[in-house]
Amino acid sequence: MNEHRRKILDMLAEGKISADEAERLIAALEKNPAADSTAGAGATAAPRTNLKYLRVVVDASEEVAGDSMTKVNIRVPLQLLRAGVRLAGLIPTEARAHVNEALREKGIAFDISQLKPENLEELIAQLNDLSVDIDHAKGQARVKIFCE
Amino acid sequence: MIPLLAVVRVKGAVRFSLWLPLFLIWILLLPFALVLLPFAIVFLVARHTAVGPVIAAIFEAFSGMRGTHVDVCAPGNSVFVHIW
Repeated sequence: MNEHRRKILDMLAEGKISADEAERLIAALEKNPAADSTAGAGATAAPRTNLKYLRVVVDASEEVAGDSMTKVNIRVPLQLLRAGVRLAGLIPTEARAHVNEALREKGIAFDISQLKPENLEELIAQLNDLSVDIDHAKGQARVKIFCE
Repeated sequence: MIPLLAVVRVKGAVRFSLWLPLFLIWILLLPFALVLLPFAIVFLVARHTAVGPVIAAIFEAFSGMRGTHVDVCAPGNSVFVHIW
Protein backbone atom coordinates (compact mmCIF):
# COMPACT_ATOMS: atom_id res chain seq x y z
CA MET A 1 0.00 0.00 0.00
CA ASN A 2 1.49 3.34 -0.94
CA GLU A 3 1.85 6.37 1.26
CA HIS A 4 -1.03 8.39 -0.23
CA ARG A 5 -3.56 5.57 0.17
CA ARG A 6 -2.39 4.92 3.70
CA LYS A 7 -2.84 8.63 4.54
CA ILE A 8 -6.36 8.63 3.09
CA LEU A 9 -7.29 5.53 5.06
CA ASP A 10 -5.76 6.99 8.22
CA MET A 11 -7.82 10.16 7.74
CA LEU A 12 -10.92 8.02 7.23
CA ALA A 13 -10.16 6.00 10.37
CA GLU A 14 -9.65 9.20 12.36
CA GLY A 15 -12.98 10.52 11.11
CA LYS A 16 -11.38 13.53 9.40
CA ILE A 17 -13.02 12.62 6.10
CA SER A 18 -16.12 10.70 5.18
CA ALA A 19 -16.19 7.39 3.29
CA ASP A 20 -17.41 9.22 0.16
CA GLU A 21 -14.52 11.67 0.32
CA ALA A 22 -12.06 8.84 0.83
CA GLU A 23 -13.49 7.04 -2.18
CA ARG A 24 -13.19 10.17 -4.31
CA LEU A 25 -9.58 10.74 -3.20
CA ILE A 26 -8.61 7.14 -3.98
CA ALA A 27 -10.32 7.42 -7.36
CA ALA A 28 -8.33 10.59 -8.02
CA LEU A 29 -5.13 8.74 -7.10
CA GLU A 30 -6.02 5.94 -9.51
CA LYS A 31 -6.59 8.49 -12.27
CA ASN A 32 -3.08 9.85 -11.70
CA PRO A 33 -0.93 6.70 -11.68
CA ALA A 34 2.33 8.68 -12.04
CA ALA A 35 1.87 10.32 -8.67
CA ASP A 36 0.66 7.03 -7.27
CA SER A 37 3.70 5.06 -8.41
CA THR A 38 6.07 7.77 -7.18
CA ALA A 39 4.51 7.58 -3.76
CA GLY A 40 4.52 3.81 -3.97
CA ALA A 41 8.25 3.79 -4.46
CA GLY A 42 8.53 5.56 -1.15
CA ALA A 43 9.72 8.79 -2.69
CA THR A 44 8.05 12.12 -2.13
CA ALA A 45 7.78 14.65 -4.94
CA ALA A 46 11.01 16.61 -5.08
CA PRO A 47 10.45 20.29 -4.33
CA ARG A 48 11.03 22.43 -7.39
CA THR A 49 13.79 24.84 -6.52
CA ASN A 50 13.75 27.05 -9.60
CA LEU A 51 10.33 28.55 -8.89
CA LYS A 52 10.21 32.31 -9.33
CA TYR A 53 6.58 33.37 -9.52
CA LEU A 54 3.22 32.69 -7.94
CA ARG A 55 0.55 32.71 -10.65
CA VAL A 56 -3.16 33.24 -10.17
CA VAL A 57 -5.23 32.75 -13.31
CA VAL A 58 -8.99 33.15 -13.35
CA ASP A 59 -11.19 32.46 -16.37
CA ALA A 60 -14.79 33.34 -15.72
CA SER A 61 -17.68 33.37 -18.14
CA GLU A 62 -20.69 35.29 -17.00
CA GLU A 63 -23.99 35.46 -18.79
CA VAL A 64 -24.98 38.82 -17.42
CA ALA A 65 -24.75 40.80 -20.63
CA GLY A 66 -24.47 38.24 -23.37
CA ASP A 67 -21.22 36.37 -23.91
CA SER A 68 -18.71 38.09 -21.73
CA MET A 69 -15.52 36.87 -20.16
CA THR A 70 -13.63 38.02 -17.13
CA LYS A 71 -9.96 37.13 -17.10
CA VAL A 72 -7.46 37.61 -14.33
CA ASN A 73 -3.80 36.90 -14.79
CA ILE A 74 -1.58 37.77 -11.85
CA ARG A 75 2.09 36.95 -11.47
CA VAL A 76 3.76 37.79 -8.18
CA PRO A 77 7.49 37.22 -7.72
CA LEU A 78 8.12 34.77 -4.90
CA GLN A 79 11.01 36.96 -3.76
CA LEU A 80 8.44 39.66 -2.95
CA LEU A 81 6.37 37.19 -0.92
CA ARG A 82 9.46 35.97 0.92
CA ALA A 83 10.48 39.54 1.73
CA GLY A 84 6.95 40.29 2.93
CA VAL A 85 6.94 37.28 5.22
CA ARG A 86 10.38 38.26 6.52
CA LEU A 87 9.14 41.79 7.20
CA ALA A 88 6.07 40.40 8.96
CA GLY A 89 8.42 38.43 11.20
CA LEU A 90 10.13 41.68 12.21
CA ILE A 91 6.94 43.37 13.40
CA PRO A 92 7.20 44.05 17.16
CA THR A 93 5.09 41.82 19.38
CA GLU A 94 2.71 44.58 20.55
CA ALA A 95 2.12 45.67 16.95
CA ARG A 96 1.33 42.05 16.00
CA ALA A 97 -1.40 42.01 18.63
CA HIS A 98 -2.92 45.13 17.04
CA VAL A 99 -2.71 43.59 13.56
CA ASN A 100 -4.31 40.34 14.76
CA GLU A 101 -7.07 42.33 16.46
CA ALA A 102 -7.71 44.34 13.27
CA LEU A 103 -7.83 41.12 11.24
CA ARG A 104 -10.28 39.58 13.71
CA GLU A 105 -12.52 42.65 13.39
CA LYS A 106 -12.55 42.06 9.63
CA GLY A 107 -13.57 38.45 10.20
CA ILE A 108 -10.14 36.97 9.48
CA ALA A 109 -9.04 34.76 12.34
CA PHE A 110 -5.34 34.68 11.58
CA ASP A 111 -2.29 35.03 13.79
CA ILE A 112 0.49 36.75 11.86
CA SER A 113 3.09 35.44 14.30
CA GLN A 114 2.44 32.06 12.64
CA LEU A 115 3.59 33.52 9.33
CA LYS A 116 7.14 32.17 9.04
CA PRO A 117 9.52 31.85 6.08
CA GLU A 118 9.73 28.07 6.49
CA ASN A 119 5.93 27.83 6.29
CA LEU A 120 5.95 29.84 3.05
CA GLU A 121 8.63 27.57 1.56
CA GLU A 122 6.59 24.52 2.50
CA LEU A 123 3.50 26.05 0.92
CA ILE A 124 5.42 26.88 -2.28
CA ALA A 125 6.85 23.37 -2.43
CA GLN A 126 3.39 21.85 -2.10
CA LEU A 127 1.62 24.29 -4.40
CA ASN A 128 2.26 22.48 -7.66
CA ASP A 129 -0.97 23.18 -9.44
CA LEU A 130 -4.15 24.03 -7.63
CA SER A 131 -7.24 24.36 -9.76
CA VAL A 132 -10.70 25.25 -8.50
CA ASP A 133 -13.78 25.10 -10.72
CA ILE A 134 -16.65 27.29 -9.61
CA ASP A 135 -20.17 26.93 -10.96
CA HIS A 136 -22.73 29.54 -10.05
CA ALA A 137 -26.06 30.74 -11.34
CA LYS A 138 -24.57 33.32 -13.70
CA GLY A 139 -21.82 31.25 -15.23
CA GLN A 140 -18.64 29.33 -14.56
CA ALA A 141 -15.17 30.20 -13.35
CA ARG A 142 -11.89 28.37 -13.14
CA VAL A 143 -9.28 29.57 -10.68
CA LYS A 144 -5.76 28.21 -11.08
CA ILE A 145 -3.05 28.90 -8.52
CA PHE A 146 0.42 27.60 -9.16
CA CYS A 147 4.10 28.42 -8.97
CA GLU A 148 6.37 28.58 -12.00
CA MET B 1 18.04 44.45 -8.78
CA ILE B 2 15.49 47.19 -8.14
CA PRO B 3 12.63 47.72 -10.61
CA LEU B 4 13.47 50.13 -13.40
CA LEU B 5 10.27 50.57 -15.38
CA ALA B 6 6.56 50.12 -14.83
CA VAL B 7 3.60 50.21 -17.17
CA VAL B 8 0.09 50.92 -15.93
CA ARG B 9 -2.88 50.76 -18.32
CA VAL B 10 -6.46 51.32 -17.22
CA LYS B 11 -9.45 51.07 -19.55
CA GLY B 12 -12.91 51.81 -18.28
CA ALA B 13 -14.70 54.97 -17.28
CA VAL B 14 -11.21 56.45 -17.05
CA ARG B 15 -8.68 55.50 -19.70
CA PHE B 16 -4.98 56.08 -19.34
CA SER B 17 -1.68 54.46 -20.05
CA LEU B 18 1.41 55.29 -18.02
CA TRP B 19 5.02 54.36 -18.58
CA LEU B 20 6.82 55.06 -15.32
CA PRO B 21 10.61 55.28 -15.49
CA LEU B 22 11.14 54.05 -11.94
CA PHE B 23 14.89 54.42 -12.16
CA LEU B 24 14.39 58.20 -12.40
CA ILE B 25 12.00 58.15 -9.45
CA TRP B 26 14.53 56.20 -7.34
CA ILE B 27 17.22 58.74 -8.22
CA LEU B 28 14.89 61.57 -7.12
CA LEU B 29 13.96 59.75 -3.90
CA LEU B 30 17.50 58.73 -2.98
CA PRO B 31 18.44 62.04 -1.23
CA PHE B 32 15.23 61.88 0.84
CA ALA B 33 15.96 58.26 1.75
CA LEU B 34 19.48 59.16 2.85
CA VAL B 35 18.14 62.01 5.00
CA LEU B 36 15.46 59.78 6.57
CA LEU B 37 17.75 56.77 7.11
CA PRO B 38 19.33 57.99 10.40
CA PHE B 39 15.86 58.73 11.83
CA ALA B 40 14.66 55.29 10.79
CA ILE B 41 17.71 53.67 12.41
CA VAL B 42 17.18 55.62 15.66
CA PHE B 43 13.49 54.64 15.64
CA LEU B 44 14.30 50.95 15.12
CA VAL B 45 17.00 50.95 17.81
CA ALA B 46 14.57 52.64 20.23
CA ARG B 47 12.02 49.87 19.45
CA HIS B 48 14.70 47.19 20.08
CA THR B 49 14.36 46.00 16.50
CA ALA B 50 17.35 44.73 14.54
CA VAL B 51 18.24 47.34 11.92
CA GLY B 52 20.11 45.10 9.47
CA PRO B 53 17.35 42.54 8.85
CA VAL B 54 14.73 45.29 8.43
CA ILE B 55 16.79 47.16 5.83
CA ALA B 56 17.66 43.89 4.09
CA ALA B 57 14.00 42.84 3.98
CA ILE B 58 12.87 46.23 2.65
CA PHE B 59 15.53 46.13 -0.06
CA GLU B 60 14.56 42.55 -0.90
CA ALA B 61 10.90 43.62 -1.18
CA PHE B 62 11.89 46.47 -3.51
CA SER B 63 14.01 44.26 -5.72
CA GLY B 64 11.39 41.51 -5.58
CA MET B 65 8.86 43.75 -7.29
CA ARG B 66 10.51 43.11 -10.65
CA GLY B 67 8.44 40.77 -12.75
CA THR B 68 5.13 41.63 -11.09
CA HIS B 69 2.34 41.31 -13.61
CA VAL B 70 -1.34 42.08 -13.06
CA ASP B 71 -3.77 41.76 -15.94
CA VAL B 72 -7.46 41.93 -15.17
CA CYS B 73 -9.96 42.08 -18.03
CA ALA B 74 -13.64 42.38 -17.36
CA PRO B 75 -16.35 43.46 -19.79
CA GLY B 76 -15.81 47.19 -20.29
CA ASN B 77 -12.92 47.43 -17.85
CA SER B 78 -9.35 46.33 -17.78
CA VAL B 79 -6.28 46.96 -15.69
CA PHE B 80 -2.77 46.07 -16.70
CA VAL B 81 0.31 46.55 -14.55
CA HIS B 82 3.76 45.24 -15.31
CA ILE B 83 7.00 46.04 -13.53
CA TRP B 84 10.38 45.47 -15.13
